[in-house]
Amino acid sequence: MPMRRLCTIYADRAVDRDDLFQDIFLAVWRALPAFRGDASVRTWLYRIPHNVALTWRARDRRRQFRESPLENEIDAGAEMDLRRLALKRAVAAMPPGDRTLILLWLEGLSAAEIEEVTGIRAATVAVRLSRSRKALQLNEVMP
Amino acid sequence: MSDDAFPLRALWMSDTPVDDKEVTSAVGHVLEKDRAARARRRQVRLFGVLAVALLIPLLVWCAAYGVTPLVRGAYALMAVGCAVLIAAEWVYLEWSRQALPGPADARSQLQQTAFMLARQIRLLKTAPLWSSPVFIGVGLLAVWLYQERTHTAAFALCAVALTAWIAAGLRASSTCAKLNDQRLEMEGLLNELQ
Repeated sequence: MPMRRLCTIYADRAVDRDDLFQDIFLAVWRALPAFRGDASVRTWLYRIPHNVALTWRARDRRRQFRESPLENEIDAGAEMDLRRLALKRAVAAMPPGDRTLILLWLEGLSAAEIEEVTGIRAATVAVRLSRSRKALQLNEVMP
Repeated sequence: MSDDAFPLRALWMSDTPVDDKEVTSAVGHVLEKDRAARARRRQVRLFGVLAVALLIPLLVWCAAYGVTPLVRGAYALMAVGCAVLIAAEWVYLEWSRQALPGPADARSQLQQTAFMLARQIRLLKTAPLWSSPVFIGVGLLAVWLYQERTHTAAFALCAVALTAWIAAGLRASSTCAKLNDQRLEMEGLLNELQ
């Protein structure tokens, strides 16, 4: 499920989301034998999808210029869906670095765990997350 | 974390769950497709290796028993060129494999991928140079044809070799430009993550 949510942020079109999901799943599958237990399973499992998503996005720059049909897949009648859509759009519009951090935070990871996943110091993570959350509130994602 | 942060997480996590059956079937489909793609790639590589493996001894034999020193030298160069081509292909594939996203942290992963891409770019930039023995060998055969047989055949062979050399150089250059774009994108991401 976190992988699916990640895909909706990095890939605009449904077909690209499926491609990205497949790439992520395969990368996790192939990396499984290399897991030695020197990191927690949780952070280890988050590292691969984020690495795949970042490199996937960089691999084909054309994807970044496609229109974003995110709203087509949301039931516009539900208030929750509209707010979730606003959140997704705000996160998708963030610079890649901030987007990676906020995605991990939204998934419930602590600053220390985000450091393990991204390699960015926990103190820096906390500062940047605070800035990003403020930006999300300014975007009126939350009432 | 501030109190107002948690509704954001709750909102994020409230995304419509995907049906388990759908995920299982997608996963099965992915594995099946991957198995088929890998089998296909293995076959293509095996065919390539077999073709060159057969070609190299033949070229070496021609280099040993050619009619003149010029012809022997030409075949020897072509044999060396083929061996270099195989080595370059193997190195390129190995670097591609090392650049694949793995379980390292995002910064280390991006650094490694950018580093591997830079290596691949250098390899491709020098492609016309390290593939030259094959084409020079064919050129020497054209010289022999010019001296001993017909001029037309010599010119035709020379034109084919030159066209193939230029085409290989152009292809390497276009792949190089694509890889360089990727590398710049990786470095941009890396700066973003600093």
